[in-house]
Amino acid sequence: MPVMPDFELLRPDSAEAAVALHASRPASRYLAGGTDLLPNLRRGLADTATVIDLGGIAELAGIRVDADRVHIGAGTTLAALAAHPGIAAELPALAQAALAVAGPTHRESATLGGNLCLDTRCRYYNQSTPWREANHYCMKLEGDVCRVAPKSKRCYAAFSGDVAPALLALDAEVDIVGTNGRRTLALAEFYHDDGMRWLALDRGELLAAVRVPLAPGWSSGYEKLRIRGAIDFPLSGVAVALARDGERLAGLRIACTGVSSRPERIEGLDALVGQPLDDAALAQLEKLVLRGIQAMETTTASVPYRRKATPILARRLVTRLWTEAA
Amino acid sequence: MKSVLRITVNGRAREDAVAANALLLDYLRDGLGLTGTKQGCDGGECGACTVLVDGRPRLACCTLAHSVADGTVETIEGLAHNGRLSRLQRAFHEHLGTQCGYCTPGMIMAAEGLLRTEPRPDRDTIRTALAGNLCRCTGYVKILDSVEAAVQAGEEAA
Amino acid sequence: MNAPERSLKRVARAASGPHGAGARRPFVDGVEKVTGTARYTADLPADQALVGKILRSPYAHAELLEVDISEALALPGVHAVITGDACDMPYGVIPIAQNEYPLARGRVRYCGDPIAAVAAVDEATADAALARIRLRVKELPAYFKAADSRQPDAILLHENKPGNIERQVHNEFGDVEAGFAEADLVREHTFECAEVHHAMMEPNAALATWDAERGHLTLHSVTQVPYYVHLTLARCLRMDPAHIRVIKPFVGGGFGHRTEALNFEVICALLARAACATVRLLQTREECFLAHRGRPEQQTRIRIGLKRDGRITACQAEVVQRGGAYGGYGLVTILYAGALLNGLYDIPAVKYDGYRVYTNTPACGAMRGHGTVNARYAFESLLDMMAGELGLDPIEVRRRNLLKAPTETINGLKIMSYGLPECLDWVEQASGWRERRGQLGKGRGLGVACSHFVSGSAKPVHWSGEPHAVILLKLDFDGGVTILTGASDIGQGSSTIITQVVAEILGVDYSRLRIIANDSAITPKDNGSYSSRVTFMVGNAAARAAENLRALLITAAAKRLQVREDEVEWLGESAVVASDPAREVAFTDVVEEALVATGTLTVKGTFTCPEEFQGGKHRGGAVGSTMGFSYAAQAVEVSVDPDLGTIKVEKVWAAIDCGFAINPMSVEGQVQGAVWMGMGQAISEETVYEDGRHQVANLLDYRVPTMAESPEIDVHIVESIDPNGPFGAKEASEGPLSGFMSALAAAVEEATGARLTRLPMTPDRVFEALHPKSRPAREGAAGGNR
Repeated sequence: MPVMPDFELLRPDSAEAAVALHASRPASRYLAGGTDLLPNLRRGLADTATVIDLGGIAELAGIRVDADRVHIGAGTTLAALAAHPGIAAELPALAQAALAVAGPTHRESATLGGNLCLDTRCRYYNQSTPWREANHYCMKLEGDVCRVAPKSKRCYAAFSGDVAPALLALDAEVDIVGTNGRRTLALAEFYHDDGMRWLALDRGELLAAVRVPLAPGWSSGYEKLRIRGAIDFPLSGVAVALARDGERLAGLRIACTGVSSRPERIEGLDALVGQPLDDAALAQLEKLVLRGIQAMETTTASVPYRRKATPILARRLVTRLWTEAA
Repeated sequence: MKSVLRITVNGRAREDAVAANALLLDYLRDGLGLTGTKQGCDGGECGACTVLVDGRPRLACCTLAHSVADGTVETIEGLAHNGRLSRLQRAFHEHLGTQCGYCTPGMIMAAEGLLRTEPRPDRDTIRTALAGNLCRCTGYVKILDSVEAAVQAGEEAA
Repeated sequence: MNAPERSLKRVARAASGPHGAGARRPFVDGVEKVTGTARYTADLPADQALVGKILRSPYAHAELLEVDISEALALPGVHAVITGDACDMPYGVIPIAQNEYPLARGRVRYCGDPIAAVAAVDEATADAALARIRLRVKELPAYFKAADSRQPDAILLHENKPGNIERQVHNEFGDVEAGFAEADLVREHTFECAEVHHAMMEPNAALATWDAERGHLTLHSVTQVPYYVHLTLARCLRMDPAHIRVIKPFVGGGFGHRTEALNFEVICALLARAACATVRLLQTREECFLAHRGRPEQQTRIRIGLKRDGRITACQAEVVQRGGAYGGYGLVTILYAGALLNGLYDIPAVKYDGYRVYTNTPACGAMRGHGTVNARYAFESLLDMMAGELGLDPIEVRRRNLLKAPTETINGLKIMSYGLPECLDWVEQASGWRERRGQLGKGRGLGVACSHFVSGSAKPVHWSGEPHAVILLKLDFDGGVTILTGASDIGQGSSTIITQVVAEILGVDYSRLRIIANDSAITPKDNGSYSSRVTFMVGNAAARAAENLRALLITAAAKRLQVREDEVEWLGESAVVASDPAREVAFTDVVEEALVATGTLTVKGTFTCPEEFQGGKHRGGAVGSTMGFSYAAQAVEVSVDPDLGTIKVEKVWAAIDCGFAINPMSVEGQVQGAVWMGMGQAISEETVYEDGRHQVANLLDYRVPTMAESPEIDVHIVESIDPNGPFGAKEASEGPLSGFMSALAAAVEEATGARLTRLPMTPDRVFEALHPKSRPAREGAAGGNR
C-alpha cells in the first residue's frame, strides 16, 4: 500500500471554523468520509499540508423533512441517506442513488457532500504515481495533455458520483459556506463541464447542506449501469423525475452521470411535457439524452457502448415511472 | 506529528500517541499489533480491513485513526468471548466460510455489523450487506451459508 | 463409472460416521483464521526490519545504459541500494528456460520490470531513495500483442528465441485428415480470451533476515512452492542451500501466482544480505498485478469433425498465447493447452500447433486450470455450436464421446477412473435440463459443459529422482503425533486433508494430531502446491507414513497384550485382542511400549508416480501426464438483459468426480471456488495494457466478482474411487473451472441467439454481439457468428 504523506490534522466544530482554518492554511483539504480522499492522497493524486476533518461539525449531520422540502446535512452518510424512511418514500431517486454508491461499508463512511464533490475520474488519472510518471502525467495533474483527448484544451475526466444526477433530477439546491458567509446555489449551477475544475466552489468554500423540494405528484428513480453488482463506479447512471397527468407528461427531468465531466442535466425535455409518452416521445427522449452526454475514453469500457446504453437506460426508467404513475 | 488519541479498542480504553496521518488500519496493525485486520488492496477496494467503529462497519484503510477519536473500535481479535468463538466465528469455521482466511476478518466484521442492526437477515440481505468484501477462494456460497448458520445459532440460543 | 466399488477398510470406532477420510471436518487451522490470530507474512513481527522497496521500469522495452544509485546511497537512513549487479544468475521455474533476473541486467522488457531496490529505515526514506535513482536508457520497439512480436522485423526480446517464439509445439496423434474426411460436419472457429490474473487476496510480501556472522539467510514468504524458492535463492545468491531456511507462514491464496519463485522474494533476500539486516518487502496491489503469472491472452483456432450421431472424428487446434516478457512456466502452459485436448472425451485424432510468444508485458504463468482453460472454452463452445447444427442435444453429444476407464489416450495419458458419465447425469437431472432447456422464456438460457484436470503432474519440474512426496510423523512420550509436511497450505486446506488421512489410518482422536508445515529447517521437502498434486501425492505419502506408524504401534500393542500381531485389533485410541475385546490396552500405554529402547519415533511415508504414468515419449509428453484426472460437468443458467447487454448468472449446478471426497465440505468449497473463478474470467475479469502500462492493476478496475452478482452453486460429488489415489481421491479444485465459460456462452446463446466467442462477456461486448450493426466497441469486442 503506498505511503500516506505527512499532514497536519484539524478537527473544527463548526462550518465557519472549518472555513477559517482553510483560509489560514494555503494547502489544506476538507476530509469527510475519507473513501475518496484518503486513497487519493496515498496515490499522490492529492497533495496537502493540512487535512480539515469535518466529522466533528454537528451542523453538517442530519436529515430534516419539512412540509415542502427536505434538508440534508452534507455530512450525512450515504448509508443513513439510503435508510431514511422519509427519503425512500418521498425521494426514491435519492435513496436509490445513495444505495448504488460503491459497497455497503463505503456507504457507512462516505457522505452526501463527499459524493457530490467526488473527484472526477479517468483511466489516466486514477493510477499510482509511478504509473502516471511513466505516462508523462496528464493535464489533470502535473501534465499538460489530456490523454483522453490529446488535442483538447480541457480535461475530460468523468464525474462519477451517483447521487448528483438524482439531486439534479430532483431540482435540489446546495448551501455553501465560505469566508464571506453563506450562499445558496441550484445544484445545476454547482458543476462545470471541466474535469479539472468541475465544482463551482471558490477557494476554501465548503458544501454544508442540500435542500430538496418535495413535489407532490412527481415520482423519481435512479438506474446505474455497472459491470459488478457492487463497488464499481457507474459506466453510466441515469436519474429521472417525472410527473404524469392522466395520459400526458406533466413534467420530466433527467440527469446522467459517468458520461461527462459533470453530472449532466438533459436539456430540451420541456418539449415532451404536455404530450403523451408515446414511441415518438421516447425516441425524442433518447435523442435528447444522447445529445446531452459526452462519454469519453475515461474507463476501459467502450465509449460507443456507454453512449448507446445511456439513452436506453433513460428510456426504460422513464417508461417504468410513467407506468407506475398510471 | 503525533498527538494523543483516546479510543476504546476491543473493550480497552487507550491513550496512544498517534501520527495525524495514521490510518486506522496502520494504528491497529503497527501500533497495537492487531494484525487480524488485513490490508488487501491499495485503498478502499477489497473490504479486507473492515472493522466496527461504534458498532458500524468501516474500512480501516479509508479512515484516519484520529477521525474516530473517543470512539469504540472492534476488530476480529475482540469478537471471541473468554477465548470461545463468537457465533459468527464458529459458523465461518464450521461451515467453511473461510478458506485462505485473508478476507475472513473483514468479512466476519461486516457480517457482525449487519447482525447488530438486522438480527435475522435473509440470504439476499446478507448478499447485499457483504458485497463490498471480496473473497477469491469460496465463490461466496459458504460465506452466505456461514452467516445464515450464525443467524440460526443465534435464534436457537435465544 | 468404470471403477471398483467403494470399499474403505476403516479403523473400527465406536462413533458413527466417517472419522478421517470422508468426514466433513472444519479446517485444522480454521480457528486461527476466524480469530485473526493466523499470521500471514505481513503480520510477522518486524519492528526492527528495514523497509524494502523496488524501483520498476517505466519503459516497456529499453536498454539500460546506466543505473546511477549514488544519490540514493548517500541518503541518510538508506542501508542498501542494489541493482542488476547484485545477481548475475538468471532464474526461472523451468530449468531449461531460465531467463529472468531478479533485477534487470542490461535490458528491461516490460513496464514494471524491477531495476533497483532499496532497504531503508522507513517507507518515506525508501521512497525518497527510489526517487534519487537515475536511469539512462535507450528505448526499444515494444510489442504488446503476440502478432506484433511475431512480425519478421520485430527485434528479439531474448536473443536465443527467434521470432520471439518462446516455444512452439507441433504434434499429431492419430490421423486427423482421415478423421475430418470421415466426418459429416466439420467446422472451424476462432475464440479469444483476454488475459486474467489470480488476484489472490493477500498481496505479496517477504521478510528476509541475513545472519552476517554465519552467512545464513532466513526467508519468510507467501509462496506456494517454498522448495523452488529455496532452490532459486541458492542459485541467485550463489549460496549453499544448507545455509538457507525458507518458511511459509499462512498464505492468503495463490491460484498459481506463487507457483514459482518471484522477483520480490529474491530481491528481499538480496537486500537483506546487502544491508546485513532484516528486510521486509511488502508489495502493493499494483505490484502484484505486475508480478502477474496469470492466464495469458490466447487465441484458439479450433476445428472439429463430427459424425451425424455426434461422434467426434478429429480435432485440430492452433493456439497462440501472449506469454509476456519472460519464460516462467510458459512452455508448460503451451504444452498443457494441447495435451489436455485429450483425456476428457474419446477423440481418435488430435493435431495441435501451439505458439508461446514473448511480448513486452508482465510474464504469464500458471493459473488455476493451467493451460487447459481457454482451449477448453474453445472446444466445448464449438462442440455445442456443431451439436446445434446437427440438431443434437449438447449433453447427448458429450455422452456419445465418453471414455471408458482404464484406458490410455492417443497422446499417452493414462485414465484410471472416469466419473464423467455420472457427473453429466446429475447435472442433467439437477438443472432440469430436459424439461427446462428451451422453455425458460426470452432472455434466459441454460448451457452445459465438461472439463477435467490433472491430480499432480506425474513428472515434476525438477526431476531429481526423489519421491514425489514425503511425510514424516513424529510420535513422542506425550502421545501426540506431529505430522511434518512441506506441502503448502495456501488456503485450499491441504493441512486438513493430510491430517484427515493420518486420522483415518491411525484412528486416533484429532486432539492427538498436530501438523507442522513449511519450514525447511523442520519439514521434509515438498515440490509445492500446484497442479493439484497435494491431495493425491502428499495424501498417499501421508497414508503410507500413517500405515508405517500404525504397524509399529500394533507391534507394541501385541507385546503389551502378549499376543501375536495378527491377533491385535487396532481401534485407534486403544488396541484389543480381536478374539477377546475385553483385553484392551490404551493408546498411551501402547506408545509407552513402542518407545522402549528406541525413544521418539520418527516414521516416514513416501509416494512416487511410477514411470508408466509419466506421459508419452514425444517431446513435452510429460506435460499433462498424471495418475488421476478429475472430471467435472456443469450447467449454468443465465438471464440476459438484451437492451443493455448485461448478464446475470442465475445458478450453477456442478458435479465433480474427485475420486473420493476425503473432506466433502472442502470439496464443495473447492468446486464452488473454481466454478466462480471461471465465472470471473467469463463475465468481468481482464487485464488491460496501454502502451504496455497496466491500466487496471487494482481491485476496482480488475473486476473480481462481488457477492452481489455471484450465483448459488450447487455441488454434487461423484466418487469413482481412483485405484491409485489416497482412498481413491483425486483433485477437485481446478477441473471444474474450465467448463464454466462455454456453459455460459451456450446459455447466453439460448437466451439471446448470439454466441459469444470472446471473453470476458462484459456488457459492451454482449451489446455488440446483440446489435451487430453497431460499430466495433473496442478491441476484443464480441462478435455474433450466427
